[in-house]
Amino acid sequence: MRGLYKKYGSNAVLEDVNLTVKPGEVYALTGPNGAGKTSLIRTMTGLAFPSDGEVRLLGRDVHTDGQRARAYLGAVVEAPAKFYPQFTGTQNLQIHANLSAMAPGGRRITRDRIREVLALLELTRMADRRVGEYSLGQRQRLGVASAMLAEPKVLILDEPTSGLDPLGIGLIHRIVTSLATSGCAVVLSTHHLREIATYAHTVGILTGGRLVDTVDLRSRQAAYRFRVDDPVGAAAVLERLPFVRRVSTRTPYAIAHLGGESRVPDALAHLHTEGIRVFEASPDHFDLYEYYRERVEQA
Amino acid sequence: MLTLLNLEFRKLFGTRSVRLALLVTLLLPLLWTFAPRLDKLFAPGQAADLISGWQLPFISIFMSIQFLLPLFIAVMAAEMIGAEVAHGTLAPLLLRPVDRTKVILSKLIVAVTYPFVLVLTTLLGSLIAGVPLGFGTFNGGTGFDGGNLVGVGVLSSQAAFTEVLRGTLLAGVSLMPIAALALLFGILYLNTAAAALATFATLIVMRLLVVLPQALQPILLTSYFDLFMRAQQGGVGKDLILLLIYTAGFGLLSILAFDRRDV
Repeated sequence: MRGLYKKYGSNAVLEDVNLTVKPGEVYALTGPNGAGKTSLIRTMTGLAFPSDGEVRLLGRDVHTDGQRARAYLGAVVEAPAKFYPQFTGTQNLQIHANLSAMAPGGRRITRDRIREVLALLELTRMADRRVGEYSLGQRQRLGVASAMLAEPKVLILDEPTSGLDPLGIGLIHRIVTSLATSGCAVVLSTHHLREIATYAHTVGILTGGRLVDTVDLRSRQAAYRFRVDDPVGAAAVLERLPFVRRVSTRTPYAIAHLGGESRVPDALAHLHTEGIRVFEASPDHFDLYEYYRERVEQA
Repeated sequence: MLTLLNLEFRKLFGTRSVRLALLVTLLLPLLWTFAPRLDKLFAPGQAADLISGWQLPFISIFMSIQFLLPLFIAVMAAEMIGAEVAHGTLAPLLLRPVDRTKVILSKLIVAVTYPFVLVLTTLLGSLIAGVPLGFGTFNGGTGFDGGNLVGVGVLSSQAAFTEVLRGTLLAGVSLMPIAALALLFGILYLNTAAAALATFATLIVMRLLVVLPQALQPILLTSYFDLFMRAQQGGVGKDLILLLIYTAGFGLLSILAFDRRDV
């Protein structure tokens, strides 16, 4: 996505948004209500047209070559996902399967695949019931089933865990992670920061229609904190170690980016050798919520 | 394209307003067989007591083509977009690798088919209502010749059937542009009520424009609502072409309007 602008009359809802998501990456989009997340998701899926800029899915412009660009797209842009209430879950998925097969060179999606995704989303029992009888959570799960039906290479989900119970949320996390592991690029919008911090690779903070920050969570989660009697002294010791990339203090902690859990015993040994007393060592989880709050307040 | 057409037809017959319209058009003809003041609708000398089942299709279409059928058609075609937007089902459809033009084209085909569904249901209801009167050779007219039920002599059942079928199909053609117009308004407003209202308001305004000079009358859609009565008079070819141009024009505008419409 490059230089994306979206205006309604004189009101700009998206301003110069640039964003790239690689295969296998989970990109979480967050921001306050009215920040432009839904507009951005609608624009990146081709439902809305930008005032300026371009969106490419797998190299194809989603607005000028939409049919080809969406050939490998799976998306849910509303929470809960919407289906024809008069048809059953299976019938709705069959409709989507037939439509997916309309892609240039698109292959037929079998009934077995429909049964498979329904089972994966734990909807087998509801498969032959009309969608009008589904709960919100079941509709949301059916939405994810529909999005992954055609084995997408790009998955875009707007609030995928909205309306789900804790088990449903866990299920969606596992599915998203599994798809990303198999090489699918995932973009999702969410307000649940602590939840996505556990499995997203990158977080984009959108506010006032601008992407004000992009946080690489992978680089921030290799930090460990050591509760010591002398944080400054400990930081100086840790800084001298070749495998330590960055050191800081947050009394009573010395925080070091070690590059991995296997380095913790070495770090502890050096601190002990230098006479630093260590009371506790633990991963220093990046507090996305705090970071987000600060960024939104600054913006 | 067949996938989309199949989907649109399934949705059409699952819609409540369509089911209601089918029921009304099927049952309403029964009323005319019991209407004692039916002759008030006709010019002196053109009305007669109903003597054949072949006369009821004309009465039924004549009674419903001015308001009832356009209303049903406008609501249905407006609903094809409006209801999908309201229920949120249009977006998931467009997220699939389908061409927007094909989506609208399939909707347009279904929309312009619907007037024929309604007039044929009306015909079916009329034929059922006409059973007690019989469908044999009779001395009179079907009404499709300028609204004349008195006729000019004996009419065989085969000739009557041909007149009825031709008149019914012409009625369907005269309603096609309304369906296309309502679909266009549906795309412009993305709302069923607004689109149906806009369509109906357009028809009412056109009806009021009857006060304009005669030369302008051919451009008014409402001028063709009596096309089915001209079946025997010949020269409907030009009118049919004009109605098809209107339908194609509204259809083309619908495709253009939808091509870059935010959903």
